[in-house]
Amino acid sequence: MIAALALALGAAAGAEEGAVKRLKAAEIAGPENAEDAAVLGRPLALALGGDVLFVADAQDCAIKVFSKEGRFLRAFGRKGQGPGELSFPSGVAAAGDRVLVADKFNSRVQVFDRDGRPAGAFAVPFLPDKVHALADGAVLVTGNPTGKRKGEAIVHVFDRSGGPRWEGVEAGFSGDPTYDAFRNMILAVPGEGADFYVVFRSGERRVLHFASTGALIGTITVDERHASRPIDLPFKRGKKRLAGFCWAAAFDRGLLYLSAPAPVDGKDLGPGREISVIDAAGVLRAVVALPRPVHRFVVEGQRIFGVDDEGELRIFEVVR
Amino acid sequence: MKKLAVLALAGLMFGTAALTFSMAPDVYDQALCNRNHMLCREYTLNLDAPWYKVMVLLTACDIGFGKCMLGL
Repeated sequence: MIAALALALGAAAGAEEGAVKRLKAAEIAGPENAEDAAVLGRPLALALGGDVLFVADAQDCAIKVFSKEGRFLRAFGRKGQGPGELSFPSGVAAAGDRVLVADKFNSRVQVFDRDGRPAGAFAVPFLPDKVHALADGAVLVTGNPTGKRKGEAIVHVFDRSGGPRWEGVEAGFSGDPTYDAFRNMILAVPGEGADFYVVFRSGERRVLHFASTGALIGTITVDERHASRPIDLPFKRGKKRLAGFCWAAAFDRGLLYLSAPAPVDGKDLGPGREISVIDAAGVLRAVVALPRPVHRFVVEGQRIFGVDDEGELRIFEVVR
Repeated sequence: MKKLAVLALAGLMFGTAALTFSMAPDVYDQALCNRNHMLCREYTLNLDAPWYKVMVLLTACDIGFGKCMLGL
């Protein structure tokens, strides 16, 4: 029933070279989760790990675990600073039998086993935003720049035990912390090996491709058919136009999935309903239309797991 | 006359500086202002709000930071 979207796209590309396949995704009706613990307060990150989906809920200071059909299974973590306790978890990643959590206001990456038992932590010298597990055991952590000084790195790679391995992608600095916050909004997504991609949410049409050592593998210029959405914002030093390039991103089976922002109430930009499927050369291979906008998502084959505007977990399946 | 004007101006500058420095927060307060500013930005950037609203809220964070540093 579930064939990989990548395979579907491969077949389509063979038939019509250069054409953009238009695909639709339908929502899969999930089970009713009656427990209070299943309610998501502020779900800031999703991660697939084996047969389950981990969701970082910053409001409840917990990681909530769901089946791939959307059934709530369990939650772990509670507010605090001790082992197993969290303060505004904003990122989660599955790494084999470990679950990594960006424990933002405790300035650390905390490690749990898959049953939610604390299994260590390492401190980071910034407020971690998102965390990702790379295939060689390295841990990729992003952070938002403070906007107060030049030369802040926004991507950090640590080894399995938390030793710093590399940091890079210097934040742009103009002296206006609000403007810089937008310019430096990034999304990092692990690739197939120990590599990872960095996508700027506004401005840049380029995707940076790194090895886990921090070596730049290449720069992907994304197809113009993945349209940026402009927005004019009044910053401290006057009105500036930002090109909204990507609201959320994911990677699956050699393909990058970038959701373009969409206009909200005429003058604003919010999450979009369309996901562009980009190949390794930056070519737009397909556009998947979702029935509703999502703030973040992960992809596995033809399934897309996302969080909508109400903070609800939504599961979609691409219709062939 | 010119000498008097220069002296008055210098006096005004020293007076302003003295007033400003007496109102400036100590090192501990500055660290607190920085911390609160950082928390304000992080909450805002993780709001899942449209960008105009994010811009307004980030600006409010900056204004709050400025007021905090001036001890207002």
